[in-house]
Amino acid sequence: MEAFNSVVISQMPFLLGGLWVALQLLALLLILGLGLGLGIALMEVYGHWTLRWAGILFERIFRGIPALVLLLLFYYGVTEFIELSAFTSAVLALGLRSAAYQSQIFRGVIQAVPAGQMAAARALGMPKHKAVFHIILPQALRQAIGPWTNEFSSELKATSLAYVIGVVELTRQGRYIISSTQGNVLLVFAVVAALYFVANWLGNQLLYKLERSLALPGFETRRDD
Amino acid sequence: MLLQVENVQKSYGDTEILKGVSLGLSRGQSKVIMGPSGTGKSTLLRCINHLTLPDGGRVFLDGEELTPKNINKMREVLAFVFQDFNLFTHLRAIDNVQIGPEKIRGMKKKEARDLAMHELERVGLADRAHAYPAELSGGQQQRVSIARALAMQPKVILFDEPTSALDPELTGEVISVMSQLAADGMTMLVVSHEVNFARQAADEIIFMEGGEILEQGPPSKMFVDPQHKRTRQFLDVLGHEERGS
Repeated sequence: MEAFNSVVISQMPFLLGGLWVALQLLALLLILGLGLGLGIALMEVYGHWTLRWAGILFERIFRGIPALVLLLLFYYGVTEFIELSAFTSAVLALGLRSAAYQSQIFRGVIQAVPAGQMAAARALGMPKHKAVFHIILPQALRQAIGPWTNEFSSELKATSLAYVIGVVELTRQGRYIISSTQGNVLLVFAVVAALYFVANWLGNQLLYKLERSLALPGFETRRDD
Repeated sequence: MLLQVENVQKSYGDTEILKGVSLGLSRGQSKVIMGPSGTGKSTLLRCINHLTLPDGGRVFLDGEELTPKNINKMREVLAFVFQDFNLFTHLRAIDNVQIGPEKIRGMKKKEARDLAMHELERVGLADRAHAYPAELSGGQQQRVSIARALAMQPKVILFDEPTSALDPELTGEVISVMSQLAADGMTMLVVSHEVNFARQAADEIIFMEGGEILEQGPPSKMFVDPQHKRTRQFLDVLGHEERGS
């Protein structure tokens, strides 16, 4: 108990600071991944074949390289040419990788909208881009929230990998505390693990709530009974 | 002719679906296309508004030819009603009707709303305006989809088997809306096997088989004394089913 007080309670501000950095990294990489991933999905489904292949190439590359290796490539590789902070490198490496994964979530839900929806929109005289915006995406994106909770969870945990390029996020803060206090390794990492778990759990609760509040009659994806 | 279809052809691979079909509708006319399954009736309808691109032939609406360039403009006034309704599932009934005038025609939101409500009243569904498609019966969904078509103030409406996804009870409510439209002078081209509708509302029956028009004429002639044996056989069977049910 004494160890808990001296190590965990006194060091909690540092751990929470680390968690805050992790959440910032998470938010930025998910936003980058969302914008780019949606763009790639639209290119893959509706784009000219050159755009489609560009999208597929990007997505295959970033899904085919381990996150850790991408972080090292961006931090040690790209910074040869442009000055990037460790944090920015992490946002880019993880964000581009997330875009590749998210593109496949969005491609799936866009293609799952029945073909009759597009046909009906076009038959009214809607140009394709308007039909995608007004008809296809509002239906597809609702269905994307479920699979997107997966992406949220994996990326939250993947932020801990930014540790290796020196981003002072939650895992690295834990490491610092262990070395500066000669603290109990198990205890500190257990608290770090608990913080990840709680953030993950709360985030998923929010997403499920969003999913429920946007559900359409006849298209509910979760059962309440 | 308000709608003129000239020699429209369509093949899928080696299979010729439409072997050069021509027909015309003058303003206020209703024609019903009948014929056995797989004859190309629906393909013809989809080729007319280029939802399926024909391999050959031309379509004119009010004297203007449909081209890839003007197709969106032309479709605004060449409405299409689908067999399986295809209401936008994320929009309430009224928004399904409103979206065309507002987002395509560029009408003010308030005006588009009033127009949508008016069209829903016309199909007898003002009280269901705020229901989502999944909360409506098939017949109600089809009536909303007719209101959605009407809200574009079309010159012609194409109906692709509008009642074949409905049971007989629900068919009646859709047919009565369509009959009213025909009586109001709407120009309509309808693929349907509804004999009662054809008898009451159609100016002409077009009988198709094997990707071409076999014969056409007013219902009084087609149901009583058709020229082709095939037409007689087919319409006889339809007539019997109608009386039997």
